[in-house]
Amino acid sequence: MQTLLKILQRYSNFLVFLILEVAAFLLIVYHNAAPRSHVLSSANAFIAWQYEQESEVRGYFSLRQTNEQLAAENAVLRNQIESMKSGEIAPNVHYMPAQVVQMTTDELHNYLTINRGSKDSVVRGQGVRNAEGVVGIVRTVGPHYSVVLPIINTHTHISCRFTKNDYIATLVWDGKDTRYANLTDVAAHMVINAGDTIVTSGLSPVFPEGIPVGIVESSRLQAGDSYHTIRVRLNTDFKRLKHVEVIQNRSKNELEELQYGLD
Amino acid sequence: MDWTKQLIRYIIVMVLQVLLFNQLQLWGVCHPYVYLLCLLMMPITLPHIADMFIGAAVGLVMDMFCNSLGIHTASCILVMFIRPYLLAAFINEKDRLNEQISVRTIGFEAFIKYAVILVLVHHLAIFMLAAWSWSHIGFVLAETVVSSTLTILLILGYNLLFDR
Repeated sequence: MQTLLKILQRYSNFLVFLILEVAAFLLIVYHNAAPRSHVLSSANAFIAWQYEQESEVRGYFSLRQTNEQLAAENAVLRNQIESMKSGEIAPNVHYMPAQVVQMTTDELHNYLTINRGSKDSVVRGQGVRNAEGVVGIVRTVGPHYSVVLPIINTHTHISCRFTKNDYIATLVWDGKDTRYANLTDVAAHMVINAGDTIVTSGLSPVFPEGIPVGIVESSRLQAGDSYHTIRVRLNTDFKRLKHVEVIQNRSKNELEELQYGLD
Repeated sequence: MDWTKQLIRYIIVMVLQVLLFNQLQLWGVCHPYVYLLCLLMMPITLPHIADMFIGAAVGLVMDMFCNSLGIHTASCILVMFIRPYLLAAFINEKDRLNEQISVRTIGFEAFIKYAVILVLVHHLAIFMLAAWSWSHIGFVLAETVVSSTLTILLILGYNLLFDR
């Protein structure tokens, strides 16, 4: 007992070091798996507020681009009204406008913070889009702000479909260029041409079907490969992201309950 | 330099870190974590364990700004654990540690060895933990070299300009 105490005393620094490191690693793993704590992220009210102030100042320098973007968004909305008149869009999808207050674009795991939270009935797992196309998926929700996992994060996987033949594939990002992502799981027998359009598949309740994702830039198939290597040019310009919409699918819960019921 | 001054310097450095250095977008590999300066320059008067807790707190605050819960915390704890052993290897006179660690107090050569090793350890730990796999190792190493170089230059610049 005496010896044990002596050893403990002698190595107490190292023991504390180990305990602290284990705690930090638990935080990393916990955060990677399911970041539930909005206090310890940029959905934290103080930190998001500070980012919002900063983005306000920054906003004045990009007013011109913002105007152009809004004009484009108006056009899309007008189109939506038109198609709604003809009854094509499911009325149970609601778009909640939001602003990006903070975002990173040059890391492997990029995140963005938006100024909507649980008070605006934003829920983890809802999709986020803008006028150009898909942006990402809501990850952590605070009362007034949320953190979104964009396409340009190597953790994000989005189910897509080719408009020309309804073939399903998964979109992942390789961590390099924010303008491009890769399509996986496209079997070698498919004929892929540059210029093919990719939209969301609608297979998961996160995104309704048909939101534009990107256009095939190039595809490669080496002898012996059973899958294509496809590079997609993303519609969304992440370097200039400002106005987005959270997709609130009213039938999402029902769909998920049905799917869980099967398991 | 007393603890109030250390705290004020920490706040100023954190503001610069969040508003300026975190926004740098040079070739996608340049993320200088200059806030490490506050940890490197802290005097060694507190118990080793207290130092590690300070490291954890500083890292946790940085993680909240970067949405990287745990990554900066783990790296800063590591740095604060190694720090006294490294200093003991480079300088002999224990009494000089009562003041802050800087070029002025421990000499240029010792400080540069000390700073280079700790900055490299810290940045490598952060980028490896952020990548969380071996498949991006080339990118991680490039990121470490470029970012560490800039951080070291900035820390030296601070020492030569503001701490004579």
